[in-house]
Amino acid sequence: MLDRLAPHAELFAYERARQGWRGYCWGVAAPLICTAVDWPLRHWLGPASILMTYLLGVFLVASRFGRCPSIVASVLSAPVFAFYFAKPIFSVAIHDLENIIGLAVMIVVANVTGTLLEKSRHQAALATQREALTSALYRLSQALLTVADSAEVSAIAVSQLHDELGFEAGLLGLDGHNGLAETAPGLPGINRAIAQKAFDNRSVLREGGISYYPLNGSKTCQGVLAIKLACADSSDLSAFLDTYCHLIAQTVERLHFANQARDAKLAADTEALRNALLSSISHDLRTPLTRIVGAVGDLIDNDTGLSDGDRLEVCQLVMDEAQRMSELTGKLLDMARLSSGEIVLHRDWNAIEEIVGSALNRLEKKLKDRPVRTLLPDNLPLLWIDAVLIEQVLVNLIENAAKYSPATSPVDISSQIENGCCLLRVADYGTGIPQGQEQKIFEKFYRAVPESDQSGVGLGLALCKAIVEAHDGTIHVVNKLGKGAEFSLSLPLHEPPALTTADIQPNQL
Amino acid sequence: MTNGYCVLIIEDDPQTRRFLSASLSRRGWRTIEAMDGKSGLALLNGEQPDLVILDLGLPDLDGIAITRRIRQLSELPILILSARSQEQNKIMALDAGADDYLTKPFGAGELHARLNALMRRIRRSNTNTDVFETGDLKVDFSLRKVYVGGHEIHITPIEFRLLTILVRHAGIVVTHRQLLQEIWGAEHVQDQHYLRIYLGQLRHKLEVNPARPRYLLTEMGVGYRLALQTPASP
Repeated sequence: MLDRLAPHAELFAYERARQGWRGYCWGVAAPLICTAVDWPLRHWLGPASILMTYLLGVFLVASRFGRCPSIVASVLSAPVFAFYFAKPIFSVAIHDLENIIGLAVMIVVANVTGTLLEKSRHQAALATQREALTSALYRLSQALLTVADSAEVSAIAVSQLHDELGFEAGLLGLDGHNGLAETAPGLPGINRAIAQKAFDNRSVLREGGISYYPLNGSKTCQGVLAIKLACADSSDLSAFLDTYCHLIAQTVERLHFANQARDAKLAADTEALRNALLSSISHDLRTPLTRIVGAVGDLIDNDTGLSDGDRLEVCQLVMDEAQRMSELTGKLLDMARLSSGEIVLHRDWNAIEEIVGSALNRLEKKLKDRPVRTLLPDNLPLLWIDAVLIEQVLVNLIENAAKYSPATSPVDISSQIENGCCLLRVADYGTGIPQGQEQKIFEKFYRAVPESDQSGVGLGLALCKAIVEAHDGTIHVVNKLGKGAEFSLSLPLHEPPALTTADIQPNQL
Repeated sequence: MTNGYCVLIIEDDPQTRRFLSASLSRRGWRTIEAMDGKSGLALLNGEQPDLVILDLGLPDLDGIAITRRIRQLSELPILILSARSQEQNKIMALDAGADDYLTKPFGAGELHARLNALMRRIRRSNTNTDVFETGDLKVDFSLRKVYVGGHEIHITPIEFRLLTILVRHAGIVVTHRQLLQEIWGAEHVQDQHYLRIYLGQLRHKLEVNPARPRYLLTEMGVGYRLALQTPASP
């Protein structure tokens, strides 16, 4: 019931409203009405009963309009009773002692009940007001739980004050240079100097109908809440506003600390990445270099008595190692380019079959005699993709499959259309992915078996993920029931351009 | 022993120049060297080389500008050397008239295969043969017929046109733009999907496994190349 009602004029200024002219009118009218009712019955009713009706009138006025109108009613009841009902009739004089006592008791009782009623009513009103304030605080704390930045905090704080309690308010937050800036406008006429003073002294100030509450957090002041209040704040309201401001300040502080923690984690991650990069570069570039230097040293040294066959073998080794370094540098360059910000996609309509073919062609030397089974339906639609990058994804996946499975086991490449996406799968018959590492293998510099003799820095799959995600696609890996890993990437389909007969006619034949 | 041809090497790195020169000399080429674009263009007039090897990353002029200058003067075959970071420049140089490219690092084997294909093209354009043959593939231009392993394959006029252009450049890359412009005209040079569709069809007709083509190779992001099955000597 209290939900959202709370029009604050009624809550915080009820006393003035009740003591209006209507209460006094009723205070005057009540004795007159009682007289009018009792007059025709005066022969049957004793003075005690008549006094009781006056008492009822006073009580009703007290219950409806408060103490002061009820005093008016009781004071007015005395002469009216004396004039109309106490002997001698039509004179304010009273001779009968019984009537004098009755009248006195009535005035006392009317006053006491009026006061009691007034008090209980006041308590009830206060309770209602407190409940409204508490529920406003509750809803604010609820709303603040989910906010993500301090600008949102300001906006919510101000709009809650307005929606819940009808207050006009504005908020001045920190501008990042220890100064105040209006982060949630909504209140004209804010005095910046006073706000600054409230902020500096961390105390409540009041000027020109606006109260300035500092947002005191656990350590620092986070800003100032300016709120328009018609009258000086009641102690309840000021306690509420203190708590309200404290809640806002704590939320701002919490966000600040969360940001700090996130920055710290980012810095730590960057550091970890740098270390991983350094260690893999030093390992993966140095190993081939060592082999090259050693082999070339052998060639230069004429005394080793190398046969022509040996010489060729050494040269082949140098070639292979140099090739490996070249690939690694290529991957590092790609990764640097992809992580340096936006990937610029050169999208065009491309055929999967063509990309698979090109990737296999690039890997011809590496695959040697390994069987590659391709299962591509004839009617695959063209994809709106950057073919160079997607080919790189396929090259990395096929290379991986070849690396982590026995030399003669096949690699399967298949494709199908599913749920508006083109699925592309690369499966091997190797050892598969260790349990629980299905996500991790896509992280930069992560390798399932760090000390394995397989060369690589753990960039291939991270590159794949970055490229596929830039295409709004997804990539993941599953271990097949039989044996081996199956990587599948899903790329969204786009409406391909229609080929009209005019389009397909060459200009001259 | 020389093959009678002269190649101009325009490359700023002395080590690469030495490697190229040594490797080419051994195969019978006469080589002349230039370390930047300006002296390269000067040598072009004086020495009358038969072929140019041009590095894309020169200190004075960019490869595209040099390609255009050479094309203004002659139809001399140009082989471009590019690093991975120069993908876009490579395509622009090819579209400006360069004939083929090699991505650094490359081996002597690849270099000679490319040069042979380029020289082969010069000789072919002089003799203008009617029949082209490589591996199982045979194209008879006078009869407009295509055979794979002795069996005639039915292909459409557009497919035949596509094949003709690729055969004319056998062993050499042909860019998307070149193909689109020659077949569909200048207004369709952006419509790469035409190529995907017709080349896909052609592959299904000519290749045993279209997903692992032997003849119609894709140069990703650049164009297509008809691979020669047996290396021809220069």
